[in-house]
Amino acid sequence: MLSLDKVNVSIEGVRVLREVSCGIDEGKTTVLIGRNGAGKTTTLRAIMGLLRLDSGSIRLAAEDLDRMPPHYRAHAGIGYAPEDRRLVPELSVEENIRLPSLALKLDRAETARKLDEVYGLLPELKVMRSRPAGGVSGGQGKMVALGRALTVARRVLLLDEPFQGLAPALALDYARTLGELRKRRPELAMLITESSPALLDRIADRTLQIERGEILVTSAKDRTTHASAI
Amino acid sequence: MSNAIIPLLLDSLASAALIFFAAVGLTLVFSVLRVLNVAHGTLYSIGGYVAASACLFIASRQLNPYLSFVALLFSAVFVAATLGPLIERSLIRWTYGKSEAVQILITFGLFLILEDLQRLIFGVQSFYEDAPMRLLGTTSIGGVVYLNYQILLIGLALLVVIGLRLLINHTRLGRLITAVVADREMAQSIGIDTNRIFILAFSLGVFLAALGGALATPTSGVAPGLGADIMVLAFAVAAIGGLGQIEGAAVASVIVGLARVLAIYWVPALDAVAPYAAMLVVLLIRPYGLFGSVTARRI
Repeated sequence: MLSLDKVNVSIEGVRVLREVSCGIDEGKTTVLIGRNGAGKTTTLRAIMGLLRLDSGSIRLAAEDLDRMPPHYRAHAGIGYAPEDRRLVPELSVEENIRLPSLALKLDRAETARKLDEVYGLLPELKVMRSRPAGGVSGGQGKMVALGRALTVARRVLLLDEPFQGLAPALALDYARTLGELRKRRPELAMLITESSPALLDRIADRTLQIERGEILVTSAKDRTTHASAI
Repeated sequence: MSNAIIPLLLDSLASAALIFFAAVGLTLVFSVLRVLNVAHGTLYSIGGYVAASACLFIASRQLNPYLSFVALLFSAVFVAATLGPLIERSLIRWTYGKSEAVQILITFGLFLILEDLQRLIFGVQSFYEDAPMRLLGTTSIGGVVYLNYQILLIGLALLVVIGLRLLINHTRLGRLITAVVADREMAQSIGIDTNRIFILAFSLGVFLAALGGALATPTSGVAPGLGADIMVLAFAVAAIGGLGQIEGAAVASVIVGLARVLAIYWVPALDAVAPYAAMLVVLLIRPYGLFGSVTARRI
């Protein structure tokens, strides 16, 4: 579905990603494990077009994304939930979740359908939908960011350190939600970054390890069926 | 004395309205593009020149004088539609994310270019055509005579405050602008074409400035140097209100308008200093402006 080929990225002259090649497959959950500063966030930001590639290419199916403006990714169905949430604080939770539908010019019925989908998966968001997003806790904010990313993610979902900073109970909730999401959207290609492999062991179909901007292990574990994972 | 208070108040509000048109565009452009456009005042004066030329043309051909009102509005639309996208795409966009010093140097260069272009096209004489003001006449209440045109200016400024607030809070474009102001990268990631938003927001800022200039010509005419004058006033207003604040710009315009008119009335020598004295006092007490806060980049 999504493939990176020999991607090199520098930030302010310092090479952060070196010859990164990997594929994110349809219907699979790929987990990218690495320490802080290893290049996890940079990989996701490069996919989203927020950083310029020095060389290499990123493709969605057969389409070369490099030449496309950043906002094109959302139109092509790649949803992204950044680690630091990045909600619009003065808008309500629901308005934040609706933002992509406005940006992508979805019609009323489609917007309502997406919102139902998000609330079905994350019922706690429905409870706090009219609260300003600036007033929710960090953990709740992560859920809102996941909901917002889901309304975009027709084909690919990118989650940056979803468990970072979550209380254990919330982390468990979040992991359960991801399992449920896999059942509801079996075709979705997911890429999740995390610093500790333990947290995502149960939902990962495939684990990649990144260290100092290089992917070390391209396939630590490949599961053929997903049912066993949940 | 008390008889003089009300006309004085009306004078200051009308002058506040004109400053507001310039300041609110400046502050809008700043909050969306994060560029302080030093050439903003010149777009105000260009709006004035185009409008005055159109009104003079209407008068010289003896067309229906009420066409002047249409001319005022369309001059602003014309300036915004031509110069807005052109300037944003050719110059401003290269300054995004650059340091403020670079942005100010580039927009200052733009200011010099536009000022000279304005002299080249319209010459150095002043333009004055007060048909719109004469047409509206005066109202006399309790022996005090008011210019109806001044009341129109105040009404239009209020309309712009309300209109902008409705645009930001209740339209699709407004939502997208809010998202871009909050976080550019996030906005791109959820599918917003930020370039389009930048062009639209900049052109809207140009429109508001040009509209201010167009509306100012029937009262005071346009002459070289107007752009620089209004720029410093608009900047004082934006600083007093807090950069990025629509209602803040409105309140600050009234403060600056009052300061100026009161100075002209009582101590004419302080006319030019009064707005900055007001700015100084406000910034000493509230360094980010009346409605601003340290992190404020909201609309």
